Amino acid sequence: MAMRARQKIRAPRKGLASSKGDDFEANWQALSGSLKRIHTKDASDLSFEQLYRNAYNIIVTMRGHDLYERVKQLEREWLATEVRSSVDAAISPSLLFAQDALDIQDQANERRAAGERFLAVLRETWEDHQLSMGMITDVLMYMDRVVVADHRKPSIYVASMALFRDIVLRSPVRPDTKTTVADVLESTVLFLVQLERSGQIIERPLIRHCIYMLEGLYETITEEESSKLYLTSFEPAFLEASKTFYQKEGQRLVESADAATFCKVAMERITEEKERCASTLSTLSEPKIKEVLDNELIKRNIAEVVNLEGTGVRNMLDQDRLDILRSVYVLSSRVDNKKTPLTAVVQKCIVDMGQEINTLATAPAPAPETTDKKAVKEKEKPMNQQTMSAIKWVDDILALKKKFDAIWVDSFMSDQVMQSAITTSFSDFINSNPRSSEHLSLFFDENLKKGIKGKTDSEVDSLLDNGITLLRYIKDKDLFEAYYKKHLSRRLLMKRSASMDAERQMISKMKMEVGNQFTQRLESMFKDMTISEDLTSSYKDHIRKSASHDGKPVDLEINVLTSTMWPMEIMSNTRDEVQLSCVFPREVESVKQSFEQFYLSKHSGRKLSWQASMGTADIRATFQRSNGKTARHELNVSTYAMVILLLFNDVAPGESLTFAEIQSRTRIPDHDLIRNLQSLAVAPKTRVLKKDPMSREVKPTDRFFFNNDFQSPFTKVRIGVVSGSANKVENNDQRKETEKKMNEERGASIEAAVVRIMKQRKTLVHSKLMSEVLGQLSSRFVPDVNMIKRRIESLIDREYLERVGEDPPTYGYIA
Amino acid sequence: MDSTPGSSEYVTLVSGDGFEFIVPRSTACVSGTIRRMLDPSSRFSEAVTGRCVLENMSGLVLEKVCEYLCYNLKNKNQTNVPDMEIPPELCLELLMAADYLDT
Repeated sequence: MAMRARQKIRAPRKGLASSKGDDFEANWQALSGSLKRIHTKDASDLSFEQLYRNAYNIIVTMRGHDLYERVKQLEREWLATEVRSSVDAAISPSLLFAQDALDIQDQANERRAAGERFLAVLRETWEDHQLSMGMITDVLMYMDRVVVADHRKPSIYVASMALFRDIVLRSPVRPDTKTTVADVLESTVLFLVQLERSGQIIERPLIRHCIYMLEGLYETITEEESSKLYLTSFEPAFLEASKTFYQKEGQRLVESADAATFCKVAMERITEEKERCASTLSTLSEPKIKEVLDNELIKRNIAEVVNLEGTGVRNMLDQDRLDILRSVYVLSSRVDNKKTPLTAVVQKCIVDMGQEINTLATAPAPAPETTDKKAVKEKEKPMNQQTMSAIKWVDDILALKKKFDAIWVDSFMSDQVMQSAITTSFSDFINSNPRSSEHLSLFFDENLKKGIKGKTDSEVDSLLDNGITLLRYIKDKDLFEAYYKKHLSRRLLMKRSASMDAERQMISKMKMEVGNQFTQRLESMFKDMTISEDLTSSYKDHIRKSASHDGKPVDLEINVLTSTMWPMEIMSNTRDEVQLSCVFPREVESVKQSFEQFYLSKHSGRKLSWQASMGTADIRATFQRSNGKTARHELNVSTYAMVILLLFNDVAPGESLTFAEIQSRTRIPDHDLIRNLQSLAVAPKTRVLKKDPMSREVKPTDRFFFNNDFQSPFTKVRIGVVSGSANKVENNDQRKETEKKMNEERGASIEAAVVRIMKQRKTLVHSKLMSEVLGQLSSRFVPDVNMIKRRIESLIDREYLERVGEDPPTYGYIA
Repeated sequence: MDSTPGSSEYVTLVSGDGFEFIVPRSTACVSGTIRRMLDPSSRFSEAVTGRCVLENMSGLVLEKVCEYLCYNLKNKNQTNVPDMEIPPELCLELLMAADYLDT
């Protein structure tokens, strides 16, 4: 403040603080009278300035402390007399004594009315007190500034609130009881909440205001957040009451209602409590009441609900009750991150359903298998049925998968935990079916053969994708590969595949799913096919140029296959015995030799072995009808059938050949010969040969004639070979065969893995070696531990490995 | 600090010796005491009439007080504020008034 020098400072005039010693009493008289009028809401003609000046004067004369005490005393008296009496009047006996009789209806009504009246009075009292104290504090603002700061006292407002708490709320209602107004308030509010929980409508704003009061009052003078009366006294009581309520409710629901009702009620309760916290009580309680709900209502009962007989999750899954499933999920995820009971049931359900599908697919199988040795014809039907059931198995699983995918997305909110649970259970039951690999491969076979006709690209795509998803579940991928290879080779060689594009697509999908190594061989099969096409055309060129052929050119289309890549066992059905190659007729033999020459001139040092059983031939046959006419048909037959038919070129009309003769002249393996003769002589529509005696079975003594009376409406006739050419479920013998091969192959893979690992590590402890082998191979199959042990033994015997230590057992690599 | 709709925009401050100063409500409310005096939620006569009689202040002092109230409001939240001219002979009385008015 700028102050000029030597300027006289005027002393304040008397009168600004006209302090005569006993002005205090006079000032106080004026002030206390006014304060009372403020309390009785009669302040409109009071001058603030006057009151303020009164207080100011008192304080300026150093009597501030006395003023503070006087005001407190005034408040105390006011509260104890006027306020208390009005509050006490509002407490009716029903509020005091009917604490336990919650359920009696008429008492409840009475109590409710009394309670609401009481709350209204209390609210009014509180609001009046607040308002008056606001005004008084304003008037005594100077006192708060000076006295309170000097004496470290709570402001008059805080002090008066504490007085309200002690005098109005904390004192006994009647001299002879310990029940305080606060107790009555508490029990009344709880009672009303109880009423609302049981479905009645209560006056929420009223309760809200009383709760405001509790929130506005503190235990201590310093008014920390945590010492709010609401938090210290009301909330614990509220939570306790809720706890008992929901315990009972949970028990009642589990005992009397079904799971759907439980979930519905629980969901409703959750929103209800949330709303109650927002509109009736305090938002402070929301997380706490949520916890009570979670613990008492949900956690205690969820397992039981999920497992409820008849209405539990099992039932919901069966009946696609997605909405309820969602609430079950929501409830479960509230209390348990892992959702153990729910996942357990879902998993069990999937496995059960899966087992059903498994038994459905395998059930009809054993019956025909016992008889299939006897009746060849009979065998065919069940075999087809089996194939059908294999495909049905896959379809069923896909349907189930689709169903659970939908449930997962809709009801389980794409929860990761649930997904992995579902995946494990699928993989469990799929792998519990020993034929799963075969079935799946058959499914692909079926779809690639004819299934995709008339379907759009995207349909094919999703179909294959579905199949691939199942492949993901299958543990023994090598087994699947074996079957797939077998089925694929049939498709390729017999040209049964509906679309090469789809085939390639399939391969690339598998590559993405299981990796390069898996599809390597399958890809090389495709490569062989393309090379063979080139080879065929260049051979044709070669023939045309050299022109060394005699009269009748034979169109040769050839597939040269790399023997290691293709499943050879399907081509040569003979086991163990040395097979003499089939004797081809002259015409064919010359073609064969010319091709061999051609091929070996291009690639020297290779060996070609002819797989006659896989080929087909188109031949033109002339039938001399008995009525003198001739009919011509083009016959599409298997290579063997061609060889047989060409034999009859040299047989005079009316003459015959016996089975044994045919066999000795062609050296076609028994099995194939029988099948081919059956298709030529037994199958009703393609009877190019006549058989004597006319029976279904082919015996070595049977005689065969050329059937000149062969009739067919078509010029081109396709004569299929009885069974064998289509891909279908294997019978027991074949399966044993496949398994044997599989085991050998696995043994080899295990040895390879062991050697690979040991070469890298030089020495390794047994258990570590085991785990590394398991890790390396798990993408292809789940190796048998005993098998690995045996393989290690055998490697030691063959001196690839040696034992280095005994404890723990350790191996070393011998370079 | 601002006026509630309904209550007038200007209020009258009256000195003990009868001088009246009409100032905007917001200006008057720079003083904590006057603000509470005029608080519409409390039903004191000042709040009802919009007229505050400050018995213990002379017109001279109140004039300077009003000047300060305007000065304060104008320069609120600003730095580099020019000093206000205070006649030294009024210093003490102004100090007491400031204490009284909580400004």
